Amino acid sequence: MTLSETSQRTLDAYLATLHKRLRGMPDDDIREIVEEIRSHVMDKASASGIITDAGVTSALSALGSPEELAGQYMTDDLLARAQATGSFWLILRSLFRWASISVAGFFVLIGSLICYCLGFFLAWAAILKPLHPQRAGLWMIPRPGGDVEMSLHLGFASPPATGHEVLGWWIIPIGILGIGLFFATLRVDQWSLGKFRRSLSLGGRS
Amino acid sequence: MTLADLVRDSPDKWEVQLRKGCLELAILASLWSGRLYGLEILRRLEADSELVVSEGTVYPLLSRLKALGLLTSEWVESDAGHPRKYYALTPAGRTRALEMRSIWQKFTASLDSLLAPLNQEK
Repeated sequence: MTLSETSQRTLDAYLATLHKRLRGMPDDDIREIVEEIRSHVMDKASASGIITDAGVTSALSALGSPEELAGQYMTDDLLARAQATGSFWLILRSLFRWASISVAGFFVLIGSLICYCLGFFLAWAAILKPLHPQRAGLWMIPRPGGDVEMSLHLGFASPPATGHEVLGWWIIPIGILGIGLFFATLRVDQWSLGKFRRSLSLGGRS
Repeated sequence: MTLADLVRDSPDKWEVQLRKGCLELAILASLWSGRLYGLEILRRLEADSELVVSEGTVYPLLSRLKALGLLTSEWVESDAGHPRKYYALTPAGRTRALEMRSIWQKFTASLDSLLAPLNQEK
Protein backbone atom coordinates (compact mmCIF):
# COMPACT_ATOMS: atom_id res chain seq x y z
CA MET A 1 0.00 0.00 0.00
CA THR A 2 1.25 3.47 -0.85
CA LEU A 3 0.73 6.88 0.65
CA SER A 4 -0.64 9.93 -1.13
CA GLU A 5 1.84 12.72 -1.70
CA THR A 6 0.30 14.76 1.12
CA SER A 7 0.46 11.88 3.61
CA GLN A 8 4.01 11.07 2.56
CA ARG A 9 5.03 14.68 3.20
CA THR A 10 3.28 14.74 6.59
CA LEU A 11 4.88 11.45 7.65
CA ASP A 12 8.34 12.46 6.40
CA ALA A 13 8.14 15.78 8.27
CA TYR A 14 7.17 13.98 11.51
CA LEU A 15 9.96 11.42 11.13
CA ALA A 16 12.52 14.09 10.22
CA THR A 17 11.73 15.98 13.44
CA LEU A 18 11.86 12.75 15.43
CA HIS A 19 15.23 11.89 13.87
CA LYS A 20 16.57 15.35 14.67
CA ARG A 21 15.35 15.21 18.28
CA LEU A 22 16.96 11.81 18.82
CA ARG A 23 20.41 13.21 17.99
CA GLY A 24 22.92 11.99 20.55
CA MET A 25 21.69 8.41 20.50
CA PRO A 26 23.62 5.78 18.47
CA ASP A 27 22.83 6.06 14.73
CA ASP A 28 21.59 2.45 14.50
CA ASP A 29 19.14 3.03 17.35
CA ILE A 30 17.83 6.23 15.75
CA ARG A 31 17.34 4.49 12.39
CA GLU A 32 15.51 1.61 14.06
CA ILE A 33 13.20 3.90 16.06
CA VAL A 34 12.33 5.97 12.99
CA GLU A 35 11.64 2.86 10.89
CA GLU A 36 9.50 1.34 13.64
CA ILE A 37 7.39 4.48 13.91
CA ARG A 38 7.06 4.61 10.09
CA SER A 39 5.94 0.97 10.10
CA HIS A 40 3.45 1.67 12.93
CA VAL A 41 1.89 4.62 11.09
CA MET A 42 1.56 2.58 7.87
CA ASP A 43 -0.11 -0.28 9.78
CA LYS A 44 -2.38 2.00 11.76
CA ALA A 45 -3.39 4.12 8.77
CA SER A 46 -4.16 1.05 6.65
CA ALA A 47 -6.28 -0.69 9.30
CA SER A 48 -9.43 -0.16 7.23
CA GLY A 49 -7.83 -1.60 4.09
CA ILE A 50 -6.85 1.66 2.43
CA ILE A 51 -4.51 4.41 3.55
CA THR A 52 -6.16 7.80 3.81
CA ASP A 53 -4.67 11.19 4.65
CA ALA A 54 -6.97 11.36 7.68
CA GLY A 55 -5.72 7.93 8.79
CA VAL A 56 -2.09 9.05 8.67
CA THR A 57 -2.87 12.28 10.53
CA SER A 58 -4.81 10.36 13.17
CA ALA A 59 -2.02 7.77 13.60
CA LEU A 60 0.58 10.52 14.07
CA SER A 61 -1.64 12.41 16.45
CA ALA A 62 -2.09 9.27 18.60
CA LEU A 63 1.70 9.05 18.93
CA GLY A 64 1.95 12.58 20.33
CA SER A 65 4.35 15.21 19.07
CA PRO A 66 7.72 14.01 17.71
CA GLU A 67 9.42 16.14 20.38
CA GLU A 68 7.56 14.36 23.21
CA LEU A 69 8.13 10.94 21.66
CA ALA A 70 11.85 11.62 21.21
CA GLY A 71 12.02 12.92 24.78
CA GLN A 72 10.82 9.58 26.13
CA TYR A 73 13.41 7.65 24.14
CA MET A 74 16.17 10.12 25.01
CA THR A 75 15.46 9.99 28.74
CA ASP A 76 15.96 6.25 28.87
CA ASP A 77 19.01 6.36 26.62
CA LEU A 78 20.61 9.05 28.78
CA LEU A 79 19.85 7.14 32.00
CA ALA A 80 21.17 3.89 30.53
CA ARG A 81 24.45 5.51 29.46
CA ALA A 82 24.84 7.32 32.79
CA GLN A 83 24.23 4.08 34.67
CA ALA A 84 26.59 2.05 32.49
CA THR A 85 29.51 4.51 32.32
CA GLY A 86 29.25 6.31 35.67
CA SER A 87 30.35 9.45 33.79
CA PHE A 88 29.99 12.59 35.93
CA TRP A 89 28.58 14.71 33.08
CA LEU A 90 26.08 12.06 32.00
CA ILE A 91 24.99 11.61 35.61
CA LEU A 92 24.59 15.37 36.00
CA ARG A 93 22.57 15.64 32.77
CA SER A 94 20.41 12.71 33.92
CA LEU A 95 19.80 14.42 37.28
CA PHE A 96 18.63 17.57 35.51
CA ARG A 97 16.33 15.45 33.31
CA TRP A 98 14.97 13.67 36.42
CA ALA A 99 14.46 17.03 38.18
CA SER A 100 12.44 18.25 35.21
CA ILE A 101 10.12 15.25 35.57
CA SER A 102 9.53 14.83 39.31
CA VAL A 103 9.79 16.55 42.68
CA ALA A 104 11.90 13.68 44.05
CA GLY A 105 14.33 14.25 41.18
CA PHE A 106 14.51 17.93 42.04
CA PHE A 107 15.53 17.22 45.65
CA VAL A 108 18.07 14.58 44.56
CA LEU A 109 19.55 17.18 42.17
CA ILE A 110 19.79 19.88 44.86
CA GLY A 111 21.34 17.47 47.40
CA SER A 112 23.79 16.16 44.84
CA LEU A 113 24.85 19.63 43.66
CA ILE A 114 25.57 20.64 47.27
CA CYS A 115 27.66 17.49 47.85
CA TYR A 116 29.54 17.82 44.55
CA CYS A 117 30.35 21.50 45.14
CA LEU A 118 31.43 20.91 48.74
CA GLY A 119 33.58 17.91 47.80
CA PHE A 120 35.07 19.71 44.80
CA PHE A 121 36.03 22.90 46.62
CA LEU A 122 37.35 21.11 49.72
CA ALA A 123 39.54 18.98 47.46
CA TRP A 124 40.82 22.04 45.57
CA ALA A 125 41.51 23.93 48.79
CA ALA A 126 43.57 20.93 49.97
CA ILE A 127 45.46 20.68 46.67
CA LEU A 128 46.24 24.41 46.65
CA LYS A 129 47.19 24.63 50.34
CA PRO A 130 50.89 23.80 49.73
CA LEU A 131 50.98 26.49 46.98
CA HIS A 132 49.15 29.16 49.01
CA PRO A 133 49.81 28.14 52.61
CA GLN A 134 48.85 31.56 54.03
CA ARG A 135 45.67 32.04 51.99
CA ALA A 136 44.05 28.69 51.10
CA GLY A 137 41.70 27.17 53.68
CA LEU A 138 38.58 27.85 55.67
CA TRP A 139 38.43 31.46 56.83
CA MET A 140 36.42 32.80 59.72
CA ILE A 141 35.67 36.46 58.97
CA PRO A 142 33.95 38.74 61.50
CA ARG A 143 31.16 40.89 60.06
CA PRO A 144 29.57 44.08 61.41
CA GLY A 145 26.89 43.31 63.98
CA GLY A 146 28.79 40.45 65.56
CA ASP A 147 28.14 37.90 62.82
CA VAL A 148 30.90 35.60 61.64
CA GLU A 149 31.18 34.43 58.04
CA MET A 150 32.78 31.08 57.18
CA SER A 151 34.40 31.16 53.75
CA LEU A 152 36.43 28.59 51.82
CA HIS A 153 39.34 30.23 50.02
CA LEU A 154 41.49 28.64 47.31
CA GLY A 155 44.23 31.21 47.82
CA PHE A 156 44.18 33.03 44.48
CA ALA A 157 42.88 36.29 45.95
CA SER A 158 44.43 38.37 48.72
CA PRO A 159 43.63 37.12 52.21
CA PRO A 160 40.71 38.87 53.94
CA ALA A 161 41.73 42.01 55.83
CA THR A 162 40.13 40.69 58.99
CA GLY A 163 39.61 37.16 60.28
CA HIS A 164 41.80 34.10 60.31
CA GLU A 165 42.14 30.70 58.69
CA VAL A 166 40.87 28.00 61.06
CA LEU A 167 41.81 24.60 59.65
CA GLY A 168 45.51 25.04 58.93
CA TRP A 169 47.02 21.86 57.46
CA TRP A 170 43.92 19.89 58.53
CA ILE A 171 42.49 21.04 55.20
CA ILE A 172 44.57 18.26 53.55
CA PRO A 173 42.80 15.25 55.19
CA ILE A 174 39.49 17.14 55.00
CA GLY A 175 40.12 17.67 51.28
CA ILE A 176 40.69 13.93 50.90
CA LEU A 177 37.32 13.42 52.61
CA GLY A 178 35.93 15.94 50.10
CA ILE A 179 37.16 13.74 47.24
CA GLY A 180 35.48 10.80 48.97
CA LEU A 181 32.26 12.79 49.30
CA PHE A 182 32.36 13.65 45.60
CA PHE A 183 32.79 10.05 44.46
CA ALA A 184 30.37 8.66 47.05
CA THR A 185 27.73 11.11 45.76
CA LEU A 186 28.52 9.96 42.21
CA ARG A 187 27.92 6.32 43.17
CA VAL A 188 24.72 7.12 45.09
CA ASP A 189 23.44 9.10 42.09
CA GLN A 190 24.31 6.23 39.75
CA TRP A 191 22.31 3.89 41.98
CA SER A 192 19.39 6.33 42.33
CA LEU A 193 19.23 6.84 38.57
CA GLY A 194 19.08 3.07 38.16
CA LYS A 195 16.06 3.00 40.49
CA PHE A 196 14.50 5.92 38.64
CA ARG A 197 15.04 4.18 35.30
CA ARG A 198 13.44 1.06 36.68
CA SER A 199 10.44 3.10 37.88
CA LEU A 200 10.09 4.51 34.35
CA SER A 201 9.96 1.01 32.89
CA LEU A 202 7.19 0.32 35.39
CA GLY A 203 5.29 3.25 33.91
CA GLY A 204 5.96 5.60 36.78
CA ARG A 205 6.23 8.70 34.68
CA SER A 206 3.06 10.73 34.56
CA MET B 1 -7.19 23.75 40.95
CA THR B 2 -8.92 23.68 44.32
CA LEU B 3 -8.66 20.99 46.98
CA ALA B 4 -12.23 19.95 46.09
CA ASP B 5 -11.14 19.43 42.45
CA LEU B 6 -8.21 17.32 43.59
CA VAL B 7 -10.43 15.14 45.76
CA ARG B 8 -13.00 14.78 42.98
CA ASP B 9 -10.35 13.92 40.36
CA SER B 10 -8.28 11.58 42.54
CA PRO B 11 -10.11 8.31 41.70
CA ASP B 12 -9.43 8.96 38.00
CA LYS B 13 -5.80 9.79 38.65
CA TRP B 14 -5.46 6.72 40.83
CA GLU B 15 -6.86 4.58 38.03
CA VAL B 16 -4.43 6.11 35.53
CA GLN B 17 -1.49 5.42 37.84
CA LEU B 18 -2.73 1.89 38.48
CA ARG B 19 -2.99 1.18 34.75
CA LYS B 20 0.45 2.64 34.14
CA GLY B 21 1.90 0.54 36.93
CA CYS B 22 0.54 -2.60 35.29
CA LEU B 23 1.83 -1.77 31.83
CA GLU B 24 5.12 -3.64 32.00
CA LEU B 25 3.42 -6.80 33.25
CA ALA B 26 0.71 -6.42 30.60
CA ILE B 27 3.25 -6.12 27.79
CA LEU B 28 5.29 -9.09 29.02
CA ALA B 29 2.09 -11.13 29.38
CA SER B 30 0.90 -10.18 25.88
CA LEU B 31 4.10 -11.66 24.46
CA TRP B 32 3.91 -14.86 26.49
CA SER B 33 2.45 -16.95 23.66
CA GLY B 34 4.70 -15.66 20.91
CA ARG B 35 6.18 -12.71 19.10
CA LEU B 36 4.09 -9.65 18.21
CA TYR B 37 4.80 -6.30 16.58
CA GLY B 38 4.00 -2.94 18.20
CA LEU B 39 0.48 -2.42 16.89
CA GLU B 40 -0.48 -6.03 17.70
CA ILE B 41 0.73 -5.52 21.27
CA LEU B 42 -1.36 -2.35 21.53
CA ARG B 43 -4.45 -4.13 20.19
CA ARG B 44 -3.89 -7.07 22.52
CA LEU B 45 -3.64 -4.71 25.50
CA GLU B 46 -6.83 -2.91 24.53
CA ALA B 47 -8.79 -6.07 23.73
CA ASP B 48 -7.73 -8.32 26.61
CA SER B 49 -7.10 -5.92 29.44
CA GLU B 50 -8.99 -2.70 28.68
CA LEU B 51 -5.65 -1.00 29.11
CA VAL B 52 -6.05 2.06 26.95
CA VAL B 53 -2.45 3.05 26.48
CA SER B 54 -0.94 6.01 24.71
CA GLU B 55 0.90 4.73 21.65
CA GLY B 56 3.65 7.22 22.30
CA THR B 57 4.24 5.53 25.66
CA VAL B 58 4.35 1.92 24.45
CA TYR B 59 7.12 2.22 21.85
CA PRO B 60 9.69 3.85 24.18
CA LEU B 61 8.69 1.28 26.84
CA LEU B 62 9.29 -1.59 24.40
CA SER B 63 12.67 -0.09 23.62
CA ARG B 64 13.42 0.18 27.35
CA LEU B 65 12.39 -3.42 28.05
CA LYS B 66 14.62 -4.51 25.20
CA ALA B 67 17.54 -2.50 26.62
CA LEU B 68 16.94 -4.18 29.99
CA GLY B 69 17.30 -7.58 28.28
CA LEU B 70 13.68 -8.61 28.84
CA LEU B 71 12.72 -8.52 25.16
CA THR B 72 14.40 -9.27 21.89
CA SER B 73 13.37 -7.91 18.49
CA GLU B 74 13.71 -8.72 14.80
CA TRP B 75 12.55 -7.10 11.58
CA VAL B 76 10.27 -9.24 9.42
CA GLU B 77 9.03 -8.46 5.91
CA SER B 78 5.24 -8.35 5.71
CA ASP B 79 2.56 -8.68 3.03
CA ALA B 80 1.63 -5.05 3.75
CA GLY B 81 4.73 -3.99 1.84
CA HIS B 82 6.80 -2.71 4.74
CA PRO B 83 8.86 -4.53 7.39
CA ARG B 84 7.55 -4.88 10.93
CA LYS B 85 9.55 -5.05 14.13
CA TYR B 86 8.52 -8.10 16.13
CA TYR B 87 9.18 -8.44 19.84
CA ALA B 88 9.59 -11.65 21.81
CA LEU B 89 10.35 -12.48 25.42
CA THR B 90 13.91 -13.44 26.36
CA PRO B 91 14.43 -16.06 29.10
CA ALA B 92 15.01 -13.14 31.51
CA GLY B 93 11.73 -11.61 30.30
CA ARG B 94 9.83 -14.84 30.94
CA THR B 95 11.31 -15.08 34.43
CA ARG B 96 10.41 -11.44 35.09
CA ALA B 97 6.84 -12.01 33.86
CA LEU B 98 6.41 -14.99 36.20
CA GLU B 99 7.83 -13.02 39.14
CA MET B 100 5.49 -10.12 38.45
CA ARG B 101 2.48 -12.42 38.06
CA SER B 102 3.26 -14.00 41.42
CA ILE B 103 3.56 -10.57 43.12
CA TRP B 104 0.37 -9.41 41.40
CA GLN B 105 -1.64 -12.47 42.46
CA LYS B 106 -0.42 -12.26 46.05
CA PHE B 107 -1.23 -8.55 46.17
CA THR B 108 -4.73 -8.83 44.67
CA ALA B 109 -5.58 -11.82 46.91
CA SER B 110 -4.65 -9.89 50.06
CA LEU B 111 -6.47 -6.78 48.85
CA ASP B 112 -9.57 -8.83 47.97
CA SER B 113 -9.87 -10.06 51.54
CA LEU B 114 -9.51 -6.48 52.77
CA LEU B 115 -12.18 -5.33 50.33
CA ALA B 116 -14.62 -8.13 51.24
CA PRO B 117 -16.68 -5.96 53.65
CA LEU B 118 -17.05 -3.33 50.92
CA ASN B 119 -18.61 -5.88 48.59
CA GLN B 120 -21.74 -5.93 50.78
CA GLU B 121 -22.33 -2.31 49.85
CA LYS B 122 -24.32 -1.65 46.70
